[in-house]
Amino acid sequence: MSERNIDKLIDELVAAEINRRQLLRRGAAGAMSVSAAAFLAACGGGGNALSGGTKTAAEKTIPKGEVGTQLNFSNWPLYIDVDHGKHPTLEKFTKETGVHVKYTEEINDNNEFFGKVRQQLASGSSGGRDIIVMTDWMAGKMIRLGYIQKLDKSALPNVNANLVDNLKHIDFDPNRDFTVPWQSGQTGLIVRKDKVGDVTSVNEVFNPKWKGKVTLLTEMRDSVGLTMLGMGKDPTTGSVDDMMAAVNKMNDNVKNGQIRRFTGNDYLKDLPKGDTWIAYGWSGDAVQLQADNKNIEFIHPDEGFMLWTDNMMVPVGAPHAYTAEVFMNWIYQPQVEAPIEDYVNYVPPVKGTKEALLKIDPEVAKNPLIFPDAATLAKGHAFKTLSPADEDKLNNAFQALIGA
Amino acid sequence: MAYFQRHKGIFPLLLLLPGLLWLIVFFAVPLYYQAKISLNTGSPFEGFRFAWHWSTYTDAIRTYHTQFIRSFIYAGASTGLSLLIGYPLAYAIAFRGGRWRNALLLAVILPFFVTYLVRTLAWETILDDSSPLVSFLQTLGIVGKNGHVLATTSAVIAGITYNFLPFMILPLYAALERIDPRMLEAGADLYGNRRSVFTRVTLPLSMPGVVAGVLLTFIPAAGDFVNAALLGSPKQTMIGNVIQSRYLEVNDYPTAAALSFMLMAIILVMVAIWAKIAGTESLMGAETA
Repeated sequence: MSERNIDKLIDELVAAEINRRQLLRRGAAGAMSVSAAAFLAACGGGGNALSGGTKTAAEKTIPKGEVGTQLNFSNWPLYIDVDHGKHPTLEKFTKETGVHVKYTEEINDNNEFFGKVRQQLASGSSGGRDIIVMTDWMAGKMIRLGYIQKLDKSALPNVNANLVDNLKHIDFDPNRDFTVPWQSGQTGLIVRKDKVGDVTSVNEVFNPKWKGKVTLLTEMRDSVGLTMLGMGKDPTTGSVDDMMAAVNKMNDNVKNGQIRRFTGNDYLKDLPKGDTWIAYGWSGDAVQLQADNKNIEFIHPDEGFMLWTDNMMVPVGAPHAYTAEVFMNWIYQPQVEAPIEDYVNYVPPVKGTKEALLKIDPEVAKNPLIFPDAATLAKGHAFKTLSPADEDKLNNAFQALIGA
Repeated sequence: MAYFQRHKGIFPLLLLLPGLLWLIVFFAVPLYYQAKISLNTGSPFEGFRFAWHWSTYTDAIRTYHTQFIRSFIYAGASTGLSLLIGYPLAYAIAFRGGRWRNALLLAVILPFFVTYLVRTLAWETILDDSSPLVSFLQTLGIVGKNGHVLATTSAVIAGITYNFLPFMILPLYAALERIDPRMLEAGADLYGNRRSVFTRVTLPLSMPGVVAGVLLTFIPAAGDFVNAALLGSPKQTMIGNVIQSRYLEVNDYPTAAALSFMLMAIILVMVAIWAKIAGTESLMGAETA
């Protein structure tokens, strides 16, 4: 039995304040099966086998239980409302349900987080996490690997009722059996209007006039997807060859100095400074940039833009799986979602958020980047789910492109 | 005590023990696991298996030799620049510093009170496209009218030089400061002009400092990835960036481990050659300084 599992057991015992009777009761309810399997697997020393026992655990739906006293929620930085160092939404949840939420902003990058938790999840442990938030493609990968627990739809009436229609079905999780959207976002162009004027085409990033003032994104699907759209290909249906062609096109433009660099959201400081005039970027960031600098604008390019969603999921071995469902269900109320949206400025997946937000912050509620109209949304594209082999190939080419 | 008197050999060994344990636990053991990982095959999807897979090494060198060469060129250039900037400075502090000596030394170390990352980010501001420095360089015509300094090789080398300069200055200062002024007087008494006193007395006596400074600057510079990531573009990627991305982005642990080992091996060979040329004696002398 590895040290990590001892730690995990201690965490569970201490954090959840499980006494022996509760432990037995949970065992009887069947919820223990997951952690028991993990416990045995870990003792067997099988740390490297990735498929295996967990798969069956993931196929069982989360049984109903009692609401616990704690919920461990891992999310991306600045992805929930903040007020004086506290999170009002989470405090409201605690007040209403008595569940203390341990909120950790530990996810900075899909791949990096995957690398961090892969071994734990493979051995059936979530490292104490109850909810993790992953972007579509990574969510799909984790489901395929059997790292995610199947949700009990009957525990999620608000989600069933209030999830926006365009997110109800998605290729990696056709019936939303494993995932509940947290926020959606759009990837398009963010430009300095005072430097580049009115631009409408995604191909402007390759316009020699802006040489050295262009940044693209280190998130592969965003950069490849937008570049493909500029080449007249659809990232939802295109072939791997089309994707490689997009990588090659970007590569030529790195070589000739057109593209300055690839960034996460570093463009947040490069655009206001004027080091970057035109960038691939995310809508939520643009809302905040525009508020500080009227010359900065988010453009939905003529050729289309990328749409993505970050999804809440319950990893295998989560100590408070049922409580996680209770939380997901609670979030799916417009009046709960509205204050989060007021802060994060991405696109809410909860129906009625706009109406709820009109009451508390009408200006934000009228922002078309947060509540895009149907005509705009129709031009959005999702990136296709790749087979592991294709993903490997593309990922290697892309990492070489961004210089690593 | 009687025991130790009878077994005199044991006592020094006992003194070594904590350091030895530290080395074994935090250096040798991880190194062993890294070596094992570098010979694995597989992917994060299927899991990794040990397989004496040597071709990871040949594949890695084939794919990433550019970044290797670039790292050593950047590290070499930065070390050279540090020596050029650091020697006169260390000399001035040691011989002309007078009562300001300690204050000046403190000024050299002061940047270390700020984290490495923040220091490098400061350079991002110093070199940004609209900064006074860059406008000045543009007026001089050194940088093109719409040109930029950030995201170029010069920016990365400048960043590395700045960050590792104190590692050069301190051993140089230690060596220079130890030189007995009477040696210099004797040189002058023997009709040496200032130049020949410097080349025949000061410089040879300060060699231990030069050797140590070069090592202390070159080794971390060759493995650096922060400067290239923040001040460079994809065209300035160093081997450290590749290792970081292989580990964290692609989760390709074998290649990352193999690259680390090759970097370590190349540096060891270079150090061995350097020690041979510069003489191990001066190297050791510097270490005890």
